[in-house]
This record gives sequence, structure tokens and C-alpha cells, in this order.
Amino acid sequence: MLSLEPLYSLLGAFYEPMFMRRAMVGLFLLSLAVSGAGVLALSRRMAFFPDTVGHSALAGLAIGLTVGLDPRLSVVVFGLFLGMFIVFLTRKAKISSDASLALVFSGAVALGLALISRQPRNAAGLNRWLLGDVLTVGDGEIWALLVLDILALVIFAWHYNRLILSSVFPAGLASRAWVDYLFGVFLALVSVLAVQAVGVLLATALLVTPAATSRILAKTGRSFFWLALFFSLVSGQLGLWLSFQPGVNASAGATVVLTSLFFLALAALYRKLVGRV
Amino acid sequence: MSLAESLTAPSSDASSANFVSPQKPILVSAADRHDWPPAIRLAGLGATLGEFEVLRDVTAQFPKGRQTIIIGPNGGGKSTLIHCLLGQIPHQGQIHFAPPKPRIGYVPQRPDFDRYLPLTSAEFLALGVTKRPIWLGLSGPIRRRIKAALDLVKAGALADKPLGGLSGGETQRVLLAAALLTDPDILILDEPATGVDVYGEQLLCELLEGFKNSFTVIMVSHDLATARAHGDWIVALNRRVIEEGPPEKIFQPTILSATFGLHQGLIFGQHPEPEPRKVEPPRSCCR
Repeated sequence: MLSLEPLYSLLGAFYEPMFMRRAMVGLFLLSLAVSGAGVLALSRRMAFFPDTVGHSALAGLAIGLTVGLDPRLSVVVFGLFLGMFIVFLTRKAKISSDASLALVFSGAVALGLALISRQPRNAAGLNRWLLGDVLTVGDGEIWALLVLDILALVIFAWHYNRLILSSVFPAGLASRAWVDYLFGVFLALVSVLAVQAVGVLLATALLVTPAATSRILAKTGRSFFWLALFFSLVSGQLGLWLSFQPGVNASAGATVVLTSLFFLALAALYRKLVGRV
Repeated sequence: MSLAESLTAPSSDASSANFVSPQKPILVSAADRHDWPPAIRLAGLGATLGEFEVLRDVTAQFPKGRQTIIIGPNGGGKSTLIHCLLGQIPHQGQIHFAPPKPRIGYVPQRPDFDRYLPLTSAEFLALGVTKRPIWLGLSGPIRRRIKAALDLVKAGALADKPLGGLSGGETQRVLLAAALLTDPDILILDEPATGVDVYGEQLLCELLEGFKNSFTVIMVSHDLATARAHGDWIVALNRRVIEEGPPEKIFQPTILSATFGLHQGLIFGQHPEPEPRKVEPPRSCCR
């Protein structure tokens, strides 16, 4: 495997500790994938989708531990299954998207708790899986995020228009089913990989908040995408930097989330005073 | 003249109540119209939604290069028939297209667009005609093609307006432009005038008149005045085809009564005058 050391050396100008350099790269790569995915989720009025699939990591983890599978694999497989199941519920069972998300959310968390409670000795690593910590990101997570970015770029380059069209005007597509399932699978994959890398709180916040901030300010579909990416990158890096300041010294994940929410508030104020950009 | 009378009066009657456009003269006799070659033929079409049989043994035809308007009551299967034509729901019976596998442009009832979604009309149209992602911006040729389609439906000024901020009539014209961008052989419109004001409806009808010879138009409409004024061929549908033919054949009391499931008197204004409303004095006056 290629070494990331040269990259980390370059980032020595920003942070001295190696874990901060890794976190910087991890957040950068995460922002690239999740900002566009957030735009897709908000366009489909399914902002709760990443949170639902993200929380399914608990059940995925529990299933992996129960049947003896690698938890990293079981989390991804179970997340993808739930993503498709949500799309199935909205398409075939005619359950509204918000109700489908609520049902799957409660079901996945309950299943995870039921399985985990049977094996209390395995519950020690749950905090790491659920809450995560961007400062513990390792080379494995960075490579996984890089793969996710490449996949996201392929999806955004070839299928972005169809995914948006299927969200805002389903009647405009002759064949919609595969686009719907592509949406479910892609967003589920982004959610579970992001949750594995940085935890459910940070992953879901970075998926939804920058896109929501952009939606407040943007006039066009083009600026919607780019502003979401901008706020995702800036919130991630500024939040990380803030957490490292002696006066703050708080959890990096929490400061990133709070920074993204601060930008959301600023955007709402700007929109009220000036208008869209 | 009552509305009912205006709907059933001879087409040559200049005083017909028609707020859409002046009554057009009959250029082709009813007998000749039966010679129009069909673009679509339905044979024994049936469809069920759940356990409810919405369409039963529907046999009809839609003339090529003409405007067919499907009329009927709510729940009469008009939209279901449209979805059968679009291949979106399973059905029994046969649908014959001539020529086979035509390109179909579809304008649905006014969709519920997210008013705050950042997306311009031009970007919305680009979603359906190009794979180049809109986050890269619209290329010159695509922008010109979209502008031409919008100009065709008198909506060129709407290109950079947010989709969610359009009025009902503007939205319908943008959707019509989206359908035209597919270069259709057949254009299908499902109650396009829903939520559209008189001006918007008039504009829409004028546009459709202009498209008549370019492709086959099939429209569902609740507005009988519009159907009578603009339809070349009318299909009266109430789960089955009550009758089909030129407007002067369909807009007869018996056919409309059978189609809409009402006693003729209710449709044609023969019900008795309502009794004057009794106004009771306020209770405080009675004390």
C-alpha cells in the first residue's frame, strides 16, 4: 500500500501532532463526499436518511459480533441493506419517506440494542463506533474515505442530473426504479463509511448541515452544490483548528458540528439581511 | 345562455360561452374525421388499482397529428389511462402504437415543487436532456437548446428564475418545454390547466393549437368548454369508453349525462330554483 507519510510531512506546517494531520486529511476527504450526498438528501426531502443509516451501524456491529463477521464489513452490508429497504418502503409499500425513515431508525437501533445487550462484554467499543473520534482516524480510514471520494465523483459526474431529477420531478424519468435504488445505495454507503471513520454525530452533521446552509444561500443548482462543498470543507477544517486551540480544548467532532451550525446561523442572518448569493 | 347550453350548442353558434378562444369553424366533417389514421389504438384495455377496477374493456383510438381530449368524472380512470399509455402501471388488453415505440412527452398535473430548492428553470430542463452535471454549469449548446424550447412556449424569460417561484401557468409552460425537449411523437398532458388562471390556460391552449400538426396531442381535461373548443377528437370515459368522436358528437346531453353519471337535469340546469334563504333575527332581539 502507498505510504501517506509524504502527505503528512507536508501538513507539518499546520499541525505538529501526527493525529491532527491525519484528522485534517480525513476531514478534507470526508467533506468532499458528504457535501454532495447532503445536497442529494435535501433535494429529496430525506435529510434524516444519513442519520437513520448511520445509527444502523449499531445493529450492523452487533450482527457482526454475533455471527463472527468482521464488524467493518457487517456495518457496511447492513447499512446498504437498510438504504435499499428505505427506498423499497417508499416505492412499494407507499409509506411516506419520513415515516419510512422513522420506522427503520427505531427498528435498527432496537435490533442493535437487543443483540448488544446479549453480549455485554462486547459493548466496550460501542462509543468508538457510534460517537467516533476524528482524532483517532488512521491510514485505513483515510484510504477508505479516498475510495469513497472516487466513488462519489463517479456518481456525481455520471448520474447527478438523474438523481436530482428523480427527487424533484419523478415524472420526468421514464425508468425511475434503478435511480431510486442508486440513491439509496450511494447515500447509505456514504453514511456508513463516514460513520466508521468519524462517528455518527460528525458524519450525519457534516452530511446535512453544510447542504442546509448552502440551500439557504444558493440561487441555482450549481451554487447549491459548490456552496455545500465550501461550507463542508471550511466547517471541518475550522472546527478541527478550534478544537486544538488551548482556550477551547474541546472534542474535535463537537467543534466541527458546532462550527457548521454557526455557519448555518450566519447564512440565515445573511439571507434575511441581504438575500441569496 | 347557461353554461350547460353553451356546452351543447352547435359549434357554429357564435354566442357559445367559451372563454378560451373564439370557436373554431368546423373544417372537416365528422365522417371525414373517422378517416384520420390512429396514432394509438386501445383494444380491451383494463386496469385495477388495488382491488378496484378503474378501467374496463376500454377500446378507443387517438388520431395521429390531432388533439384528443379525454373527459370524464373524478375517478373515471382518465389519469390511469394516461399512466397505462406511459407504461407506468400494469394493464390488460392491447395498446397499439403507430409507428411502434414512439417518443412520448408527458406533462403531468402541476407537481409539488419544493419552493425553496435552489434550481433554475433552465437547470431543471437540463436535468432531463444532458448527463453533464448541472454543478459544472450548462454548456453553450444545451443552454441554446433549452432557450429555444422555452421560447417556443413563450417562457424564454423564465430560464434563470427559480423553479419553485414560478406561478401555476409558468410551471405548466416549463413542463411543456421539458416535454418538447424530448422531441416527442406523442404529447400527453394530464389536466394541465389545474391551478392555472384564465390567461395561463388561454396561453396553454393556443400553444397546443400550434403544435397540432407537429405531433399527436392527448390531453385529460375537466374543462368541458376547453375540450369542446380545442379538441379534434373527444373520448368520454367513465371507467369504460362511453363514446368517442368529434366534439359535436360527444357534447350531447345523453352522452354527457352517461359520462358524468348524473341525471341530465343536474348537468343541464333543469333542477328547481332553490328556496329563498330564511334569515332569522338574532336571538338577542327575541328576548
